[in-house]
Amino acid sequence: MAALTQTYVSQDRSLVAALAEVTLDIAPGEFVTIVGPSGCGKTTLLRIMAGLQRPTSGAVHLLGRPVTGPSRSVGIVFQDPVLLPWRTVLDNVMLPVQVLGLDREIFRRRALELLALVGLSGFEGKYPHELSGGMRQRVSLARALVHDPALLLMDEPFGALDAMTREAMNLELQRIWQDSGKTVAFITHSISEAVFLGDRVVVMSPRPGRIADVLAVELARPRDLDLMASDAFGVYARKIRQALGPRGMLE
Amino acid sequence: MIPGDLRRRPHVVLIPLVFVTFVAVWEAAVRLWRLPDYLLPAPSAVARALVAGLASRLYVEHAWITVTEALLGFLIAAAAGIILGTVIAQFRLVERTLYPYVVAFQTLPKIAVAPLLVVWLGFGVSSKVVIAALVAFFPVLVNVIVGLKTVDGPKLDLMRSFSATRWQTFRFVTFPNALPFVFAGLDIAVVFSVLGAIVGEFVGSQRGLGNLILQFNTALDIAGMFAVLLLLAALGVALHLVMQAIQRRVIFWAQPDHVIGA
Repeated sequence: MAALTQTYVSQDRSLVAALAEVTLDIAPGEFVTIVGPSGCGKTTLLRIMAGLQRPTSGAVHLLGRPVTGPSRSVGIVFQDPVLLPWRTVLDNVMLPVQVLGLDREIFRRRALELLALVGLSGFEGKYPHELSGGMRQRVSLARALVHDPALLLMDEPFGALDAMTREAMNLELQRIWQDSGKTVAFITHSISEAVFLGDRVVVMSPRPGRIADVLAVELARPRDLDLMASDAFGVYARKIRQALGPRGMLE
Repeated sequence: MIPGDLRRRPHVVLIPLVFVTFVAVWEAAVRLWRLPDYLLPAPSAVARALVAGLASRLYVEHAWITVTEALLGFLIAAAAGIILGTVIAQFRLVERTLYPYVVAFQTLPKIAVAPLLVVWLGFGVSSKVVIAALVAFFPVLVNVIVGLKTVDGPKLDLMRSFSATRWQTFRFVTFPNALPFVFAGLDIAVVFSVLGAIVGEFVGSQRGLGNLILQFNTALDIAGMFAVLLLLAALGVALHLVMQAIQRRVIFWAQPDHVIGA
């Protein structure tokens, strides 16, 4: 697999620069977290990476090819689960398979495996309104993975969940990532979430959105929740807070 | 009924109580002041007329005509409203071109067209079907358009991220998403279609409940008129309940507050 490169993305929105010269390389299999305050252009950056939005100038390369539109090699987990309420859990996970015209039988098995992976075995026939917020976001994760994309883009996926559910989801996501070997770009406004999950943390600052710092997090995997209370973890969190500047009091 | 249950849901008793009180006061007033039948018949007289009319199958035959007209009109309105609404909501050019006509036609009181339709189509069933369809069409059309346009951005982003075709987006997301609105429109339309059929029968007909009302009116059979009105009310409620039952099955996933326009 060729290196994922993403270079020089900038975007003007009605003459307000949302992103200014953002350059970033993400290696295959890497877990990169992108942290920054609201309005720093994180979501814009992700939408450009996903091919949902064209940059004003600059280019994104995925697997060595320029991104000109949505790609099959990308799976997205949005802020909200965005499930279709009239479809069962399994049919929601199968939606990409149907749209992309993939083999239903083969991918049905894969969808069931993924639902087991995210801890939702036995819920295939349920409807979204019968699930809790955390469970819905897990369905959304399974859906993002079902067509086996190389890159998983996650836009504050656990932002709406309560703190305890969020920590549990962070642990599960780490496990799923380690099992699947996907490349992940994960947007968050939580510093501890960024440090806990990331191989590298990209710190962004607002107006215009740009990269303030990139930190490699050298903490052994698998990481557990006790780690969050350790000194080493605190050092990384402090560095990020400094990089964010005086506006860094986020959580 | 146990007292605790009664305290929690007092309306279960209050609803029939209001009815009984209303009927009793009405009956008493008619007897007390000896009101003539051609002004205000007593509820007992209305009940007798209703039973006699149903027993002789006179009401049933006329009701059957009206129901047929209303339902045929409703089906035409539903099909036309859904198809045209979809085309308008999906194609910007069609919307821009047709919208002024839609608004102009919608503001026109449709029942004013009824005499014209009777002239064109005659005193039979067909003119009533068209009037019913005309009256029922707009609630469907408007709700279909609104429903298809209220699909939220994230769902469309999701489909776009799979490079979904326009047809796939419509089939998998936009159309099912619009169904709660469509049903709100159909629910109004089914009641409106009865209205249309009755108005059509008023303007010119040989049969139907609207025609029966006119006959009773001429004969000053006010008890008979009340009986037909009761029948029409029951018909409206029945059609509404059928729609609700279908709606609950088809859009089981929709919260009631998602449906507007009812």
